[in-house]
Amino acid sequence: MKFGGTSVATLPRWQNIGELVASRQAEGARVLIVVSALTGVTDALKQLCSESKAINRSEAARAIAQRHYDLLDHMQLSMPATLGERLEDLARLANEGAATLGELAWQAQVQAHGELMSSALGAAFLSHSGLPTHWLDARDCLSAVALPNQNERTRLLSSMVDSRPDPALAARLAAQGDVFITQGFIARESQGRTVLLGRGGSDTSASYFGALLKAQRVEIWTDVAGMFTANPRQVPGARLLQRLDYEEAQEIASTGAKVLHPRCLSPLRESRVPLLIKDTNRPELDGTVIGPEVRAHAPSVKAISARKGITLVSMESVGMWQQVGFLADVFAQFKHHGLSVDLIGSAETNVTVSLDPTENLLDSDAIAALATDLAKVCRVKVIAPCAAITLVGRGMRSLLHTLSGVLAEFGQLRVHLISQSSNNLNLTFVVDEEVVDTLLPHLHDLLISAGALRTDDSALFGPSWQALYGNGESVAATTAWWRDAQREALLELAAEKTPRYVYHLPTVRRQAGALKSLGAVDRLHYAVKANTHPAILRALAAEGFAFECVSPGELQAVSAIVPASTPLLFTPNFAPRDDYALALDTRATVTLDALHPLEHWGELFHGREVVLRIDLGRGLGHHEKVRTGGSGSKFGVPLDQLTQFLQLAQTHGVTVRGLHAHLGSGVLDAAHWGEVYVQLASLAERIDSVVFLNIGGGLGVPSHPGEASLDMAELDRVLREVKAAYPQYQLWMEPGRYLVADAGVLLARVTQQKGKGAYRYLGIDTGMNSLIRPALYDAWHEIVNLTRLDESATALYQVVGPICESGDVLGTDRRLPEADEGDVMLIAQTGAYGKVMSSHYNLRDEADEIVIE
Amino acid sequence: MSKVIQPRLTQVFRFVRCGYADGVAELVYAFDDGDELIERIRFPDAPPVSADRRAAFDAASSMLHLIAGVSYYKAGVPPKIEVAGHELDDATADLLDALYLHGLAEFAYRNGLDLRGRIAFPRMSRENSTASTATAKASSLGLPQRTLVPIGGGKDSLVAVEAIKSIGGEATAVWVGNSALIAACAERTGLPMLNIQRELAPGLFELNRLGAWNGHIPVTAVNSAILAVAAVLYGYDSIAFANERSASAATLEYDGQQVNHQWSKGYAFEQLLGDWLHTHVASDLDYFSLLRPYSELAITRAFAKLTPYFDVFSSCNRNFKLLGPKPADRWCGQCPKCHFVFLALAPFLPKPRLLSIFGRNLLDDETQAAGFDALLEYQDHKPFECVGEGAEARAAMLALSQRPEWQEDALVARFRSDILPQLDPAQLALEPWLTPDGEHRVPTRLQSALATIG
Repeated sequence: MKFGGTSVATLPRWQNIGELVASRQAEGARVLIVVSALTGVTDALKQLCSESKAINRSEAARAIAQRHYDLLDHMQLSMPATLGERLEDLARLANEGAATLGELAWQAQVQAHGELMSSALGAAFLSHSGLPTHWLDARDCLSAVALPNQNERTRLLSSMVDSRPDPALAARLAAQGDVFITQGFIARESQGRTVLLGRGGSDTSASYFGALLKAQRVEIWTDVAGMFTANPRQVPGARLLQRLDYEEAQEIASTGAKVLHPRCLSPLRESRVPLLIKDTNRPELDGTVIGPEVRAHAPSVKAISARKGITLVSMESVGMWQQVGFLADVFAQFKHHGLSVDLIGSAETNVTVSLDPTENLLDSDAIAALATDLAKVCRVKVIAPCAAITLVGRGMRSLLHTLSGVLAEFGQLRVHLISQSSNNLNLTFVVDEEVVDTLLPHLHDLLISAGALRTDDSALFGPSWQALYGNGESVAATTAWWRDAQREALLELAAEKTPRYVYHLPTVRRQAGALKSLGAVDRLHYAVKANTHPAILRALAAEGFAFECVSPGELQAVSAIVPASTPLLFTPNFAPRDDYALALDTRATVTLDALHPLEHWGELFHGREVVLRIDLGRGLGHHEKVRTGGSGSKFGVPLDQLTQFLQLAQTHGVTVRGLHAHLGSGVLDAAHWGEVYVQLASLAERIDSVVFLNIGGGLGVPSHPGEASLDMAELDRVLREVKAAYPQYQLWMEPGRYLVADAGVLLARVTQQKGKGAYRYLGIDTGMNSLIRPALYDAWHEIVNLTRLDESATALYQVVGPICESGDVLGTDRRLPEADEGDVMLIAQTGAYGKVMSSHYNLRDEADEIVIE
Repeated sequence: MSKVIQPRLTQVFRFVRCGYADGVAELVYAFDDGDELIERIRFPDAPPVSADRRAAFDAASSMLHLIAGVSYYKAGVPPKIEVAGHELDDATADLLDALYLHGLAEFAYRNGLDLRGRIAFPRMSRENSTASTATAKASSLGLPQRTLVPIGGGKDSLVAVEAIKSIGGEATAVWVGNSALIAACAERTGLPMLNIQRELAPGLFELNRLGAWNGHIPVTAVNSAILAVAAVLYGYDSIAFANERSASAATLEYDGQQVNHQWSKGYAFEQLLGDWLHTHVASDLDYFSLLRPYSELAITRAFAKLTPYFDVFSSCNRNFKLLGPKPADRWCGQCPKCHFVFLALAPFLPKPRLLSIFGRNLLDDETQAAGFDALLEYQDHKPFECVGEGAEARAAMLALSQRPEWQEDALVARFRSDILPQLDPAQLALEPWLTPDGEHRVPTRLQSALATIG
């Protein structure tokens, strides 16, 4: 069991260690505890080493000693002899300086004291607490091996240890007792000198001990429950990885995860000792088990990571690559200029390599000098700043077909290099660094929805970081309204007729209430295209919503229902002139999203106020077809036409009163609206007539189990922050799906079943004619057998409709109870873009609509 | 009673009054008989104004009132200007006439207005003015030897700060308004900080809604006047701006009139205000630019050595009110300032370092070609002239085109193949831009700081 610096720095944490060790002992295990120095002590010792004056060094040693005295005081222990010796030793070393031992050996000796002292202190405390603990000098167990590529510095300060099993050591310890404590980070070399293991050294020590002793397992106790599918700081929805094999874990550790140093895995791999990462503060959490192999399971991407600050050097030359020694000469230049190469991509006429960010790269002329030398033999291009995005998972090549959505995302970007390792563990894309922060959470979502990251496999994937450590509201999903309270009513409605849509107005009101909690928003519009049912319009009008329409038809439908004082917004796209003429005769605020209307119909808008819809660039959303920003999208006036638009407005006496942008749908990241808001506000500052900003809708509704919902408190905070900076602008939003998606379900009945090869098809009496989202957007809707809600889900069905289209599939690979003809199937989250997008295709009857008040 | 007025149809712009109490200056203006427009300037932790500085303080405050009026005057540009209770002597009226005419030249050009003959501040009779000027020689206030350095968030003011620090000069980093970016830069200087707040009259926003004229105003002049008041109030003998040589050059000529986008950063305004402060406020209060003799490239080279500022500064034109950690939160990458600073820094920094500042490589982005063409004054843009940023940009681009680590980047390659053959190589050397040249008003006490920049 290994405990880090913060875990050994206070009395309560030591008590915690005592409890954990006792619990392992109670399970019948013998325990070796490996500890780091008290937090901050290693840095203090390094600082001590850099002092040139003896008096300063001695003063530093005294301060370090005082840390240990203070902790002893808290523990109400007297000075144990083992610790006393160490303190005297340190004082002597500090006073003497490096002269006798030599600089590097002296440094190693001094820095080793952090662990020597913390372990001595721990042995005393644990023994005193009734857990007899033997202090073990790690240097008597771990022997450093000399390697040919080492110099004196690496030999002493960044050493490697022979990790072959040592039965003699195991026997010696077995004879002595059950609980031992020893030091991380240190070992001894052949001449008997103390050496250090370098970065991540304490974890590595624990691994060495695990391997030498052929331990049952190595436990790394730290401040987080394990490895995650992504860096939680970048992707709060990242899921805990419960099981990994050594190679996967090493790949994840090497490409980003900080929780474990990658070098600590190789000693264990050979001896096949499993490693468990656990959270000291939350020992009840499962943690990550890293072992020889994970039991058979479908191949899955395990993690996605990003490394920034990467520089690429692309070398282009015709026909040179076949020349013997050419590449060797080229790479010799990198060595000569002190630059180490990471990724390599090659073609007949081009070799591109990546360089990690180092001080040498950033602050010296190394790159200029390298380019000058390389330019003598090939054309050189230096591409930066880049980021390497790596997908990790065993059997990556067999996953490629599931990555189409993910690859499509890369299709929008400049991808400079793709590297797929021959060990089939990773796939790396090098892209422009600027896109990474928004891209990573998005890719993580895409991997899950594409079924490439199989978060539905609960043996491999644990809870999300947000669920474990996030603050704010918990993601515990409220039970859907149709599951309990309304189930019987729904079954009765289905008995009358299917297919039919059922809308639950209390859910609409609840969602409206959540939106109204956004204090910074001055006006909320319901984007009626999501669902134009009169009862929903009435309910939202009663909630005080304004309405956003995109066609004369919608304007008419809304006007017929809502009070005459309710504000309307008209936001069409590529609409004909007559639509604008009609809208201008209503009270609706009109949004323009092209130059054409002012260029050709300027007189129509003379003296009027309009909103300008801007395309801020890259779009966001859960599917390419719901993305509404970026040149590939037909919406909005691009930024480079803004000046032209304003000139046209001035020419025709049109006042631009508001700015609008809407980048996509299904966005679950609160920061996104802050960015849109800030960008609009900073544009608005150049246009004096603007008084409001409409940041659109697109608020995501999670569809997959365990997917975190949009954090409204965080969204509120983000919007308030921007509002404080730009108080002069009113803030408008226009959510649609967020209000109504969860309120609606589609009821259908089972028609036929069919087995075909390994597939089992479950037919129901409606399909893409009623609900086109799965076919159009690959949307995932939960599907349940309402008749058999309580039966165990044993069958794996493809749920299909009766339409003569191979795309008429509502759900693939669904775990459901064995169904019978006539069973009532419920397709959830269909309150938005369900009925409104339905058709008469195949001349099938449309689903009707029922409202539950 | 609120009167609805049509700003563009107003007849008189009135300087109603200005007052000061408890650290707040109130500047009051009106159009015709419309509502008062009240601007407030807040000086934090202001000490009381001592009797011996009272006259100087009043003179500086009254100049602030007159200069800050430009923000409001431009809303209507009425034919007449009235200054209540004041007759201006010739020196004062000349300064204001010049400021309103030249400082609003770009505004006038963009709105199709001609301000010549329209701007006339009321002045006292010639005899009175001569008498007044003769007697109005301000005396020395014995101001402490310390400097106010306005921070703008860009590289120039940081070069000025470091120059003063390098000679052990005492200085305070000062800025007007709420900018997280400037605050972060000011904090990074390690100097004492002074943040003065300026609240525009809310009525101005209403005038904008009613169709006021709008456009660029000489904001450096307003900030200069605010700092002059601050110097007297808190006790500083010098105000060191960081305006470079090319700020004095006109950006275009329109209908026979020179239009300089940054006229109030130019040497002409520096002379007018510097002399006026000597004669009307305090003979020992110096107002000047520490960077005046230097070109953009020389300043950029000096800045390239100031690594600690790389992750906080921005010269971008876009107004970033919220600071994020990413380069894109400080650099839009689209505006001329982003283009110029990127290009000007490139010859003086390792390429990966430069790219880490901007978070992207603007010169390897073909969509930015038009922006850089404008900078280089190529194609549709104004013809090649050997002045200012255009020539400096061409010199920097030539330097990059000779470097292997740059020459394959899209816009550098394009420069080599398309633009360079049309240029006279003799005009493209970088070195001449790095030597100081021309006049400046840096006081003797700080001239050694000036020398550290070159």
